[in-house]
Amino acid sequence: MGEGTGPWRMREEIERIFPGLRIDVYSITSPRTPSYNCVAWAVGQVETWWWPDPMEQAFWPFGIPRRETIDVFIQAFSTLGYVLCATADVEPGFERIAIYVNSARKPTHVARQLPNGTWTSKLGKLEDIEHATLDGLSGSPYGSVALFMRRPIQQQTS
Amino acid sequence: MSYAVRGGQATSRLLSEERYVPADPQSPDKPLLTGSSQLLTARLHYYLPVSRQRQSIAERFRELVQTWKEDVGPLSSTTEMAMHPAYQQIIGLGRDAVPHLLRELQREPDHWFWALKAITGVDPVEPRQRGQIREMAEAWLRWAREQGLGG
Repeated sequence: MGEGTGPWRMREEIERIFPGLRIDVYSITSPRTPSYNCVAWAVGQVETWWWPDPMEQAFWPFGIPRRETIDVFIQAFSTLGYVLCATADVEPGFERIAIYVNSARKPTHVARQLPNGTWTSKLGKLEDIEHATLDGLSGSPYGSVALFMRRPIQQQTS
Repeated sequence: MSYAVRGGQATSRLLSEERYVPADPQSPDKPLLTGSSQLLTARLHYYLPVSRQRQSIAERFRELVQTWKEDVGPLSSTTEMAMHPAYQQIIGLGRDAVPHLLRELQREPDHWFWALKAITGVDPVEPRQRGQIREMAEAWLRWAREQGLGG
């Protein structure tokens, strides 16, 4: 991982982990930090790590089970006003998220759609990126998109 | 307890089939270590004394930290991070790892809380602080000072 990596080194490292980004259009939009992760970033937070870990070390909405299942993630996002939707099509007045799962159907990543239809992702403890397509992050280690959820933009949390 | 090898020339005799006896003048002929696993343990302790093992733990810890950081960077799952073999080996170091974990937490806050909780059996992090890395790190470093562990 190393500290003090320049922009090209960072891109090299990101593309080594996510080869799909080599043929996608993307940009790095933040420094790396372990302070927040993709779930936090998806709901607009930058100071908290969200995850349903059984050791209760990460934040997770109160009353939602701490299990790595797609149903638990749907429940968690439902507490923030999200509902399931069918497609990734941009809809004015709504923001959308995409939940990735691995081959065991365990959630691995969440990306948030931007108003222009592109996506923003916090890559674990690495940087935030804006990426043109969801395919750029498909494959190992995130797997593929399992479902989409959306909520009206005015319900955004601080 | 200390052990002696009968007949002197301890180093060479340790590698031979010499019989170990306690360095107790009251029972000089009583064999103490007779099984092969006991002999191997005794040899390990001879060649790698505890003082040198301490140094080895520090080096081992650094290697494991580096491996873990390289491998889990893109992950969001704290469960998967904690299940990583390097992280599990750090937990396996037991209480010897605690001072190193606390120093690492002070140097560069990261997700070491699961390991600290697993090893110490305590959790000084309040529920409202969960997921807030800096606050969690401060809670653990405060706990360390209260326990006289520095930090």
